[in-house]
Order: sequence, then structure tokens, then C-alpha cells
Amino acid sequence: MDNMLDKLKVLSDAAKYDVSCATSGVNRQNSGKIGSASSMGICHSWSSDGRCISLLKVLFTNKCVYDCQYCVNRRTADVQRASFEPEELADLVIEFYRRNYIEGLFLSSAVEVSPDYTTERIIRAIRILREIHGFAGYIHAKIVPGVSPELVNQVGLLADRLSINIELPTTKSLELLAPQKKMAAIVTPMKQITETILDRRQLSGVSYGNGGGYGNGSDYGAAYSSANSKGSYGGFTNLSDNGFLIRETGDEFPQGLKQQIQSRSGYKEKFAPAGQSTQMIIGATPESDRRIIKTSESLYKTFKMKRVYFSAYIPVGNVASGLLPSAMTAVPLRRENRLYQADWLMRFYKFTADEIIDEANPFLDLEVDPKMSWALRNLKHFPMEINKVSYEELLRIPGVGTTSAMRIIRQRRLSTIKFDDLKKLGVVVKRAQYFLTCCGKYYGGVAQDPFLIRQKLLPPENQMSMFSETMPTRTVGNRNLENPQSVVDANGNLQIGDGGRHG
Amino acid sequence: MEIFKLETVVAMVDYIYDGTFEGLLTCVHTNYYGERANGIYPEADYQVSILTEFYKIVTDEEKAHAVYSGIRTKISEEALERVYRVHLSSHKEKENIILSYLRLGFKKGGCISSMHAHPVVLAMQDLDRKVSFEKVRLLGLVRFSEINGVLFCSIEPDHDVLELMADHFADRYKNEAFTIFDKRRKKAIFCHAGKWYIAAVDPEIIPDFEKEERFYQDLWKVYFENIAIKERTNPRCQKRCMPVRYWKNLTEIGIMETK
Repeated sequence: MDNMLDKLKVLSDAAKYDVSCATSGVNRQNSGKIGSASSMGICHSWSSDGRCISLLKVLFTNKCVYDCQYCVNRRTADVQRASFEPEELADLVIEFYRRNYIEGLFLSSAVEVSPDYTTERIIRAIRILREIHGFAGYIHAKIVPGVSPELVNQVGLLADRLSINIELPTTKSLELLAPQKKMAAIVTPMKQITETILDRRQLSGVSYGNGGGYGNGSDYGAAYSSANSKGSYGGFTNLSDNGFLIRETGDEFPQGLKQQIQSRSGYKEKFAPAGQSTQMIIGATPESDRRIIKTSESLYKTFKMKRVYFSAYIPVGNVASGLLPSAMTAVPLRRENRLYQADWLMRFYKFTADEIIDEANPFLDLEVDPKMSWALRNLKHFPMEINKVSYEELLRIPGVGTTSAMRIIRQRRLSTIKFDDLKKLGVVVKRAQYFLTCCGKYYGGVAQDPFLIRQKLLPPENQMSMFSETMPTRTVGNRNLENPQSVVDANGNLQIGDGGRHG
Repeated sequence: MEIFKLETVVAMVDYIYDGTFEGLLTCVHTNYYGERANGIYPEADYQVSILTEFYKIVTDEEKAHAVYSGIRTKISEEALERVYRVHLSSHKEKENIILSYLRLGFKKGGCISSMHAHPVVLAMQDLDRKVSFEKVRLLGLVRFSEINGVLFCSIEPDHDVLELMADHFADRYKNEAFTIFDKRRKKAIFCHAGKWYIAAVDPEIIPDFEKEERFYQDLWKVYFENIAIKERTNPRCQKRCMPVRYWKNLTEIGIMETK
């Protein structure tokens, strides 16, 4: 297949089930010829499924020697096959990047010949980008299970983020659906990446901060960019006579210092400055939500993952075996959404997996979000006095997010917070009112009873459902795409309370 | 907008000014050292009324400087940046919101940035968020086309965020020459080798892109359509993240209109 258009079609089609599209976690001025990275991440477009597009997400090749049941590219599947040449892929990235279509590259691959052969091809393409084109934008590279450690190290020195998909929540499921992939082959490179990142950090003696990196140019970079922006805020309009010039570049840094900044923040010395992430498929195998959350909690702890992504299983065409849910099964989008909310609670709200979900109810409540669900199970902690409790306690109140909690703390140093102020501070009062008091007064209007509060929270048409079943079934109603609560973008970023945040 | 009218003033005097940031700061200066303003409006949009007198405030660099450093030292750097960004918004009462904010700020000092529930601070905060958010959104939504080796794009932002975008692209494309044209305000960033300036532009100068450009545009469209997972189609979410008013300047959307 020679035509670029066809190749791109086949190889992007094959890559779209990789969830991660994050470009955050690394801040870098243009240290090469073209490109930069922003720690807040920049989304460039949104596809018709509502997921954000920030990276050119492609497979290097979809010719695969493996036969994983859940995968569109498995060896036995009847699909068109194609491969990029390293040079043409690098050109494509640069041309897309110049036009501001993308924020960088997400390069994955099927396993052609062997993991090492595949990875060497990936390295070749990224090296051309970094060294010949001087590309300083964001690169996310996929590590193929079973690859040799030297190659992992090489990829890590070129890419910003690395990921190895854990694929399924348990070893048993992996054996069943992807018999050629071994859990050990997945975990070994994960461990290597974690250890390399930790080692480098210790050697340079620099705290990691918000994904900055070692060899640490980032401090200088930050100082430089803020100085630069001050320059433009402070730069007065040129009140020249001709009235043509409106504004121009702010004052530059002294040349010597700027060069120093550039050489010190060069990407070459850093190993995966944006850390590593992983992904697992939800709904292809019968694991409970509790099992999934526990697995992801241990991934965060053991491997210091930046993100663990979930991907709702979408039936792939012509499945021969009876190992997977049938093609008629609804895509469990609501369940995926709840899992992401639980993930948020672990990462930003300091919840543990056991708090979010206990053994008695191993599936997340589909009617209310996990934080609400926790609060309803733990009414003994509520209502909390908004003018007294600590930041950590504020974060436990449904409807209070990280931003509004911070504002509450700052505001109450100056004056007492009244109930009417809460909305202005960004609190979702509709949800929060049952869990707090303002100056000792409770505004919820119903008794502190989990059942009564739940009745108030559900939309009117759902309010009776509590009488018919305590645990909603998992396959019904999951495809309610019109429901504003089931909104997930490409990164699985979603709104939870008002603390939804990009990561 | 009742709250932004200032306390009872004996004479009802409006200020009109030239619309520049420096002009606005001169108005603030005059408000303190001359007659108090009932309201401040840009000259271009001002509706003369028989009930109010109006003064035309002439921009004065020295007075503007005094207010500028006054905000920085007596309130905070953060407040200064906020005032600057709000001045870029297209809100009709922005000048009066800024004036109320500065009056409060000169009274209370740096702590106003923590007074989140105060109506004046809240109004500033909201406008600031809108401007900053649109800037960040546009950093992603800008689409360049190559014309004779120069990158060119058009935008039509709600707020005047053009100059806030300049540093980002100047650094990212430091080896390129590019232009970002604000159709609505008829001005553009011109950037070459990391240096930029903004100048007024006649819309007639915009050239057409060449045929080779189509090649990458088509590739991008194909990618855009392919990357969506059909089983998850969710146009509401797409439109919420990427409002339709930005679509006309997006390369990838053409394909969606035809289908």
C-alpha cells in the first residue's frame, strides 16, 4: 500500500482504541527547531464521539503476530494491513504540527516479526523526528510487551511519555483472551521504567514537582516564560504617530542566559519526563468494579503511574470464539464513566480503593457518582461546618471540588462564609446542601437519611427505581448518551463535581 | 448591572476614551484626581444621552504609568494582569467593572484576590476566566495553511485574545514565519524568527492557499473522521467542547458538513 491517504486511514483506524490523548505533564520551551510542550496540555479538536484529539494517534504497522481476542488487529482478523516508513511518518508529523493540527505524536504498533524488531522501527521514526527535524513537541510511545531493556531505555530517552497496556484487570483474563501475552512480559518493562525514572530523579537531587523532570531546565523554563509574559502585559502600546503598530514582542532574556536555558532543558537527557501510563479494557471479562479499582490503585502505588485509563469494550467484528460478550451487548459507557470518577477520587481527593467500593457491593452505583455514594454510606461524618473543617474534609463533601475547596479556605480567612456565597465560590449547591452547615445552620431541608437524600438527588423519572431494585443492572441503560453525566472526552477526562480537570 | 454604577455622584458624568488600555488607565487617574466618573465607555460605541454629560479623556502616557505602577504596588501583580485580560474582553461594561474592582482594590489591597464571593470580584473573575479560557481554547483550534512558505490562519474570537496567543506560537514556530489574522478586529500577528508584532490589516490582503496544501488538509480530514469511534458517537459532547461558532475556521469540519 503506497498511497499515504489509505495508509493513514488503516493505521489511524487501528489506533483509535488507545484512550490516552493527554499531552500534559511536561513543560518545555522550544529546545529544538520546532515544537514545545505545555504542562496543562492542549486539545486541538474533538471528534464526533466527543473525545479530544491532541495527538496524531497511529500504529506504525498493523501487521501482527499475536492473536488477542479483543483486538481489531489480531492475526486472524480479516482487515487491510499497512505499515509506515519511518521517514514518511516523521514528515507527516511535522507537516501536521506546523499547521497546528496536533500537539504531538502517539506512536503505537502491532507486533511485526518480534517485539524488538517493532521497537527498533519505532525508535528509528522518533529519532528522525527528534534529531533531524529538531522536533521538541510531545511524543507518547507505546512499549511492546517482551521488548529488551536496552530498547526501552532508548525509547524513554526520546519520548515524553511511555505506556504499556496492561490490557485486562487480571492475569486470568489475560491468559484467556491473549494467551501469547504474558503478565510478566508486561510488568517487567513497567518496573524498569518506574525504576529508571526514580533513579534519575535521585541522581539529580531535584524534586519531581509537577512532572518537570531532571537535568532540571524546567525551573529556568518557567522563569523564562513568566518573564516573557510579563513583558507582553507590561509592554505598553507603542504610541507612535503612524498608528500602525499595535503591540510587539516583550523584552527578551539576555542572550547568554537564554542559551543556557535551552541547552539545559534539552529533551535528550531526560527519561520519559511525563512519566508512564497504562490502559485496561472494561466489560470484556467479568471482573467486578472493585477488582478493577483495586488493580488500578496498585498500579498507581507500585509503578507510580501518571494515569490508568479504562476503555469500554466495543465488540470487534467477526469474533469466532465464545470468549467475549456478543456483538449485541451495549458498550458500558456509564460504567466506564463511573470508573473514571472513582479514579479521580483516588488521584485528587485522597480516597482509597476500599473507601470507594467495599466487598459487600463490588460494583459502582450507576445512579449517583462514587463520591456521593461514599457520602451516603458515611453520613456519620456529615453535615460538616463549612467555616471550620480542614481542606481535606472539605474535599469529602459532594459538590465541592479542589478549586472551590481552595476558595473556601482563602475566603474564610477574610470573612465568614454564608450559604448564599457557596454558589459564587463554585460549589454545586444542589448536591452539597445535604452535607454541610453554614454558621451552624443546615439548609438541606430533609433529614440526614441516605434514602431521603438519594430521592432528592435523582431526576424525577428515576426516583421510584429505588423501590424495584437496590443494585441497578449493568447492561441496561448504559448507552444513554444524552445523559449529561456520562460525558467523557478522549482522555477519559470528565466532570466530577466541579473538580473536573485535565490530566 | 446596577452594582457597577458607582456611589452617588453629584454630576452625572460619563468618560469616553479611545479604547486602549492606556486610555482606560488615564480614565482611572482622572476619576481619582478630577471629577468622578459615572461610567466609562469607548468613544466608538458611545450613545449620547440628554441626561448625562460626557468628557472625552485624552490618553496620557504619564498618568497611565502612574496608575499602572499603582496597581502593581498597592494591589498586586496578579490584579494588574487580571485587569489587563479583562480589558481584552468584549463585555460592554468591562470598563466599569474594572473601575469598581480598582476602587475596591485600592481600599483593600492584595487580599481582594481572595474575596471570591464579593460581587465586584466575582464579575472580574468571571470575565477573566472567559478571556483566559478562550485563549487556551484557541491555542488548539487555530489551523494554519501554508502559502509561499508562510503559515497563515484566520480566527474570529469573542474576546480580543490575539496578543495573548503570540508568545506561545512565537516559541513553538521559532523557525517559521506565520500570521494569525483576527477577522473580526481586522488586525494580525506577524511573526518571524520568534519575534512578533501586531498590526492593523486590510482583509483584502488574505491570499488563497495553493493546491499542495490540499494534500495535508485532506489527510487531516481523513484522520479526523477515522479517529472517531462510531459506537460512541456523541455530538452533544463534541459541540460542548468545541462550540460551533469556531467551526468555520477549522480545516477538518468541511467533511462533516457535506455528509
